Amino acid sequence: STAKNVPAALPSALATARNIDDLGRVPYPEGVKSPSVELNVNAKDGKFRYDRDFLLQFMSICKEKPDMLPPLDAIGLEPADQSSFSMGRGGSGPGMRR
Amino acid sequence: NMEAQAEGIRTVFNDPTNFNVKHPLFSSWTLWFDSPLTKNRNLPQTPISAVPQTPLPQTPGVAAAQGWMEDIKRVISFDSVEEFWGLYNNIIPPSQLPQKANYYLFKEGIIPAWEDEANKNGGKWSIQLPKDKNRANVDKMWLYTMLAAIGETFDATLNNSDDTSVPPPSSLITGVIVSTRPQFYRLSIWTRLAPSTSDEDKLRERIETIGRHFKTSVLGYSDSAKLAGPLATEVEFLSHKDSEKKGKAKKIIV
Repeated sequence: STAKNVPAALPSALATARNIDDLGRVPYPEGVKSPSVELNVNAKDGKFRYDRDFLLQFMSICKEKPDMLPPLDAIGLEPADQSSFSMGRGGSGPGMRR
Repeated sequence: NMEAQAEGIRTVFNDPTNFNVKHPLFSSWTLWFDSPLTKNRNLPQTPISAVPQTPLPQTPGVAAAQGWMEDIKRVISFDSVEEFWGLYNNIIPPSQLPQKANYYLFKEGIIPAWEDEANKNGGKWSIQLPKDKNRANVDKMWLYTMLAAIGETFDATLNNSDDTSVPPPSSLITGVIVSTRPQFYRLSIWTRLAPSTSDEDKLRERIETIGRHFKTSVLGYSDSAKLAGPLATEVEFLSHKDSEKKGKAKKIIV
């Protein structure tokens, strides 16, 4: 198997994982919902469609930061000051914001 | 399935750190971002502005798109379900973005501008939501919008036909956008085509199906809900050509 050729300290399994080409052959563990079959009738060339319930199952598992993600502050992507939010949410009245 | 297991297929569900297969998306996607902070700063350049400018004659549209794209930063591209969630779990949700910021999630190769070949004959479904009432909802609405886009479930006509002799129709969706403004959020879905004349009933129906799916399944409103109000709009469709015109616009509302 490919796993044997891969060094143990790989940065990410994502880098070596291959694309699934047949969804019907994937052995999902018990309790994991398979992708909707009806969305993928005659799907070819990895052109798969996925329903939301299937996709949401990955949320708590795939947490690794992508290698290619630039530092967010370098592209100006920074969270707004959170303190101003709590003011707006309370009953402080419309005049209080900004 | 036994056979698959014998072949050693391991998904992220079987082994989160040592999986060997991933779920490819119907299309590759690129996330773009802009905010007042990205303007006029020495930041990594977007592909379009990184391309050396040649004195080739350009249509006004392309020139305008380049000006528009100058301040929009490419964040990352991805083509699998697993990569999408790695990005999602390491980026800021819309509720925490500064004012006047936008996320643009578009199919790879399509820039989030009207002028792009894939967008110029299209339009957008959009909804505007008052910020104070929707701060708690907007992150989920944006997530569900992205999932419908990358899962390719907005466009029901895309259902893989049993008739393999005809190629499946290509997806109408080119991208999705979330915008934060001082008083409201806006969510948009951009389409490749827009019905312009009354003889395009089939396209109109296909576009309306996308709008209804957006309103009910993605945003969670009932089919008949009236959404317009102070700072709020209905779920409405406008072609980009009509958006450019001032004055009366032919909107479709679901």
